[in-house]
Amino acid sequence: MSKIALNTPAPDFTLSDFQGRRVRLADLRGKKNVVLIFNRGFA
Amino acid sequence: MAQLRQDVDEFVKRNAEIVVVGPENARAFAAYWQKHDLPFIGLPDPTASVLKLYGQEVNLFKLGRMPAQVIIDRAGVARFVHYGHSMSDIPANSELLAILDTLNQES
Repeated sequence: MSKIALNTPAPDFTLSDFQGRRVRLADLRGKKNVVLIFNRGFA
Repeated sequence: MAQLRQDVDEFVKRNAEIVVVGPENARAFAAYWQKHDLPFIGLPDPTASVLKLYGQEVNLFKLGRMPAQVIIDRAGVARFVHYGHSMSDIPANSELLAILDTLNQES
């Protein structure tokens, strides 16, 4: 479980959002900057 | 999340998509998103697959994972990485927005 390094490709992943839509990080490539936030407490 | 919510227009102006990943399940996410009217992508990750992929820190003495932020440019490269050491260790919006300005000037 190593931390990711600056200026290296961000690991791609696919997850379903809370409405069941598939979201793949790579699909945003070439279109958007991504602010990826890890947090907890959404209850 | 309230901190991000208040400046969401500034993030949109900078062509940024805010993607939030957390360990809660879809039902908890849906309730939280509705309650706080969050215009972000919310990704439940109850198996912690992405959390592990990105090496989010687990602090056993503080009951769970610490916040982390990664800014990924349009080429898919991580250009800002911050792993928090406490639940309040979160960069200011102004810092994130300044990084996005820099990325947008490059292209």
